[in-house]
Amino acid sequence: MSVTAHGVAMAYVLTTFFILGFGYFVAVTALNRPLPGLLWAWCAFWMAIIGVLMVVLPIGMGQATVLFTFYPPLTASPWFYIGLVLIVVASWIWCAIMILAMWQWKRENPGKPVPLAMFGTVANAVMWLWTTVGVAVELIFQVIPAALGLVQTVDVGLARTLFSWTLHAIVYFWLIPAYIAFYTMVPRAAGGRLYSDTMGRVTFILFLIYSLPVGMHHLMMDPEHGNGTKFIQVLLTVFVSVPTLLTIFTITASLEIAGRLRGGRGVFGWISALPWERPAVLATGLAFVMLGFGGFGGLINMGYGMNAMIHNTSWVTAHFHLIFGGSVVIMYFAIAYEVWPRLTGREHPSIRLLRVQLWLWFAGMMIMTLPWHWLGLQGQWRRVANFNYADPIIAGWGPLVIVSFAGGLVLLLSALLFLRNLFVLHRGTAAAIARPLYALAVHPPHRVPAALNGFGLWNVLVLVLMLFAYGYPIAQFIIMPSPGAIVHRMSAQ
Amino acid sequence: MTEESSRQSEPHVLDQPWRIWASVAVISILAAGVLLGVIIIPVVQGSGAGIDAYTAICRALGILPGSPARQQTPDRAPSAPVSQVVWTADVLQILANAKPERGREKVLEVCATCHGEQGVSLAPEYPHLAGQSGAAIYKQLHDYRTGSRTNELMTGLAKALDEAALADVAAYYAAQPKRNPNPVTLATSPPSIVQLVEVGDPNRNIPPCASCHRPGSGGPVETPILSEQGDDYLVAQLTSYAAGKRRNDVYGRMRSIAAQLTEAEMKGLASYYRAGFR
Repeated sequence: MSVTAHGVAMAYVLTTFFILGFGYFVAVTALNRPLPGLLWAWCAFWMAIIGVLMVVLPIGMGQATVLFTFYPPLTASPWFYIGLVLIVVASWIWCAIMILAMWQWKRENPGKPVPLAMFGTVANAVMWLWTTVGVAVELIFQVIPAALGLVQTVDVGLARTLFSWTLHAIVYFWLIPAYIAFYTMVPRAAGGRLYSDTMGRVTFILFLIYSLPVGMHHLMMDPEHGNGTKFIQVLLTVFVSVPTLLTIFTITASLEIAGRLRGGRGVFGWISALPWERPAVLATGLAFVMLGFGGFGGLINMGYGMNAMIHNTSWVTAHFHLIFGGSVVIMYFAIAYEVWPRLTGREHPSIRLLRVQLWLWFAGMMIMTLPWHWLGLQGQWRRVANFNYADPIIAGWGPLVIVSFAGGLVLLLSALLFLRNLFVLHRGTAAAIARPLYALAVHPPHRVPAALNGFGLWNVLVLVLMLFAYGYPIAQFIIMPSPGAIVHRMSAQ
Repeated sequence: MTEESSRQSEPHVLDQPWRIWASVAVISILAAGVLLGVIIIPVVQGSGAGIDAYTAICRALGILPGSPARQQTPDRAPSAPVSQVVWTADVLQILANAKPERGREKVLEVCATCHGEQGVSLAPEYPHLAGQSGAAIYKQLHDYRTGSRTNELMTGLAKALDEAALADVAAYYAAQPKRNPNPVTLATSPPSIVQLVEVGDPNRNIPPCASCHRPGSGGPVETPILSEQGDDYLVAQLTSYAAGKRRNDVYGRMRSIAAQLTEAEMKGLASYYRAGFR
């Protein structure tokens, strides 16, 4: 129950609300025009709140202990799924508003490049529309009818395939706001300029096209797909690392510009010259370290043979906690620290505790996840509540489990400190914040090709890739239906 | 000249190479993936394993079962499932459409002599059936009929009933009320037995009984409800599972659990469940 609640809260609730709010903020501040469809945005907000209540109550009542991945045939109370659908529909309204805002801006500013922050946000919205198709089809045609008792069997292979469609790209939905901050806020916070605006655009486009046709790498050990289709998706998965490597290069170059402007000399002198006391700069440095560990762990996950060693072990849990819980969430904190003062018109009374909070988050996440990696290599399986430490093989895991638990406590402390920092801000002095938020590029773009200013071409390419990656793998379930699994319902009938 | 250069900076002219090269790049990556993953690697691996190219490609695509790099091993030993009951949608439909009133006629004719008209059995060696899960009764009757479970009396009786009658009888007994729990035995269950029921014993790979036998716990469909069962009957079943004499439990779940239990634990669990705990 607690793992389901944790997964749902962190993966669906926290992310969706944060990303929606950040998107609205970017649409207003980067485009410098009022948000279209404000009423719709509020409708979506309340719809999502109702959705959260519908999801949380069945979990609390023990009728939805299905984890956030809810693989059938175990099915929760129908309210759980209907609540999730409401959250997704609310996010679709957000997507429509983001696309509309960019479209209106382009009509008012013909030929001008869309500001990078908004370009990234709309890339995320377009990707999210593609992403949610898989889980929406699974919920509407398979899981909800099963939960309601309309059907007695469910094709679990098809359900897992449809969920894999969503499962990898959803991670990029969470990640892109952090990347928007890397490209548009961090160079400014460091006192420099963005090294290349084009790199940013290419990065967001690569995320759009390569985050979708790759989800089958979550199903490498599943028997329902051929080796060939798995190979195609693994090859495409390799290309997902490209936008991250581009970003590491571009942001490091941007920070070097800032460091040299501040008087840094020599090969590494610019690093120490950076203003590490500023939360956004510190968070970026810490995020890059976690991205490094998590990213190399991810390279292990994506290789078919190596995946077999760590499949369903704590290694995987460690990987996504480092990338999402670590790099991405620490950037969410940094964004909150930048955005909250602008929304409330108040300054942080002191940024010392902001830094302490970020350091604690980094330390806690590293202490928690590095032992998990090691335990995963020793075969510690995930998704279980406890282990039998009386077994001599498992007994050796005990000390490392205690270390990772200590990391979890540090994280809890950091999360509480984050809340405190935001509350204290409201007691800060009221001040109109005049410093600009978004960074200028070294060579600000005056005119960009339509391909880097919109998503028409890329949507066509996504369609082609998805047809190849998921066309036959999904069609096979209709051509050769497999025996369905009996639905196990958790809720009292 | 100026006209020429301004024409060259028109958005659609700027865009053309992007359109072409982006498509070429993405399609090339995809084509490389298809060529390597579906054709070259399977054919090469297949030829090493003595599999023809066509079969290897079909296996890589998932059209034929098996790996392109390995021969499918034929099953030499014929395997027999421990039970012939398959919980297909059709079987569930038969259970859902069963008629308790038709079942009552059969019960009075055949079953009541031992299991009682209300499902409260007349001798300790016969199980109580009142309020038992319909799916559990159906599976056991079906297993007797197909020989997956044997009993001098039940095998012959079950063979005389057709599938619809099995479901009717099961529905009739499932609809009978349960008796009240016995408060005395409830209070006297030792903590070690309660521990086995609620937590199990990980050291011996014994899962908690309640993880399947508590109604609504999400265990296999055929899991029987144990509360208020006669303790002699439960001990006899655990003993025969442990000895491998009764073997109609799917995946050998109960055989492997019962083999880990001591005689005292079997008795303790039986009296725990007689008390009416779920």
